[in-house]
Amino acid sequence: MSGLPDLSVDIGQMKLRNPVMPASGTFGYGKEYSAFIDLNRLGAIIVKTITLKPKIGSYPHRSTEVASGFLANIGLQNVGIKRFTEEKLPYFDHIDAPLVVSIGGESVEEYVELAQILNRQKRVDALEINISCPNVKKGGMHFGMDLKVTRNLVTRVRDATEKNLIVKLTPMVKDIRPSAEICQVCGADGVSLINALTGMAIDIKTRRSKLGRNLIGGLAGPAIKPFALYLVWQAGKTVDIPVIGIGGISSAEDAIEFFIAGASAIQIGTWNFVNPTITMEIIEGIEAYMVENKINSLTKLVGTIS
Amino acid sequence: MEYPILKNKRVAHNYFKLDLDISEAADFPIPGQFFNIRCSETTDPLLRRPFSMHRLIHAKNSVLLEILYQATGKGTEWLSRQNRGESLDIIGPFGNGFIIEDDVKNAVLVARGIGIASLYAIGEMLLKKNRATSVYIVMGARKKERLFYEEECGKIGKVFLYTDDGSKGFQGKAPDFLMELLKRKSLPERFTLYACGPGNMLRELAHISERFGFPGQVALDSHMGCGFGSCLSCACPLKPGYVKRYKHWEKPALQWSEDGSLVYSLVCKDGPIYDIREVDWDEWTA
Repeated sequence: MSGLPDLSVDIGQMKLRNPVMPASGTFGYGKEYSAFIDLNRLGAIIVKTITLKPKIGSYPHRSTEVASGFLANIGLQNVGIKRFTEEKLPYFDHIDAPLVVSIGGESVEEYVELAQILNRQKRVDALEINISCPNVKKGGMHFGMDLKVTRNLVTRVRDATEKNLIVKLTPMVKDIRPSAEICQVCGADGVSLINALTGMAIDIKTRRSKLGRNLIGGLAGPAIKPFALYLVWQAGKTVDIPVIGIGGISSAEDAIEFFIAGASAIQIGTWNFVNPTITMEIIEGIEAYMVENKINSLTKLVGTIS
Repeated sequence: MEYPILKNKRVAHNYFKLDLDISEAADFPIPGQFFNIRCSETTDPLLRRPFSMHRLIHAKNSVLLEILYQATGKGTEWLSRQNRGESLDIIGPFGNGFIIEDDVKNAVLVARGIGIASLYAIGEMLLKKNRATSVYIVMGARKKERLFYEEECGKIGKVFLYTDDGSKGFQGKAPDFLMELLKRKSLPERFTLYACGPGNMLRELAHISERFGFPGQVALDSHMGCGFGSCLSCACPLKPGYVKRYKHWEKPALQWSEDGSLVYSLVCKDGPIYDIREVDWDEWTA
């Protein structure tokens, strides 16, 4: 093999120089990580979910740690689309890496309106539809758990934007395959999975939830990796569009497992909190694995489980 | 960054003092700021643990950071087993430190348990700035056996001890003791309060500060996912009216509700030091 291996991957019309992205909600608005890493080296940047109106988010005492996991209820706190486009988006003018904006809403109409607004933003390369947030009362995961709503929502958003479209799926379904398939049928350019699982943790002294008044939260981190890998494997066998693997990835080895299972790209979530430079280390680790195993193109590794 | 451990010793009960050589750091902390230390070699425990600066010592050829901590769970117990010569994976310093105002003649530090760690730092800093500053330290714990560091504190100020069970010093909690000291006129008429401890203690101290009209700064403790403003776990509700009127600290992470009736800050970015008047204590301790 001559030269460096090719880590690039296409999602719709979007060209990623490597398959490593941060997961929405674990990377702030991007800038938070600029002190730690060169954002340009990322395959793509995904900012936290933006809603039409600003959202203050969940009550305080939003997170707790569980065995190899992070249980959190943030409630999609974000600055809203207006402040996002005015104050956060210009930061990316001097960054080359593709930009993916995650969108969330309480109704199909809100998702459509967000897609229309972002369609006018040149700097935005793709939208990731968040129909999998476990911590909002309306929309979020409830949309992703309903195939009819998923179909309607993806179709309507597809019509509203020319941007590349990724749908982020919830694991809180009986079967992931129909969810992934509907996204493909309705014109999505990729599916990303999994978002957090709903979970609880209780303080046995006070008999209160460790998340206080929020009661429940989304479970993420290494604890969910085997389950995420299973669903990615299932989705990969079902659809032809790229599957983006998410769930407890903390090393290049974890990422490679996801590629072998069928993921074309991956997102790093919780581990960004543990090690803010992890995305860089994983890119280097994937490259080293490919060199060592004489794999000249990442696409040749995807879905190769025997 | 990897910083070498110079010393990691138990000082009392389950309290430890960790000395690190941070000469290579790009940034040195001020009192009130914290570091996020990885306290694990595996995925359990998972997240970093925040530790406030206790003391910073500029030696001839090195800079020494002292951290005072309590081993209360898997992460801090792991930390307590690390030895001299080993290194720790540390990020920071993060957050806003205490504001050192010029006209502080009298400082009253109120701590419970490990809360003394960051308060000692501010006491020492105030004295460094003005040797004439009078420092009063109200410190305590559940019972006598849990008291620690009173001798060291005696070097920077007058110490008043309390225990919940009365086994040493005043019997009761810190806010009751502060009220008692005010009544007894054991404290000067004008002072600035610096406090660190459980939310309920701080809430009651806030009520006393409002009643008696003395200013104060508090160090908040919160569950954090990252420490640098990304995970949004450590949201702390503030009083909107106060935030609009006063701007002592830079608060880059404020999130307002749509109608402007609620405002959340992030303890890691906007805190962990707050003006005692600005925190919405009822919401924080709900």
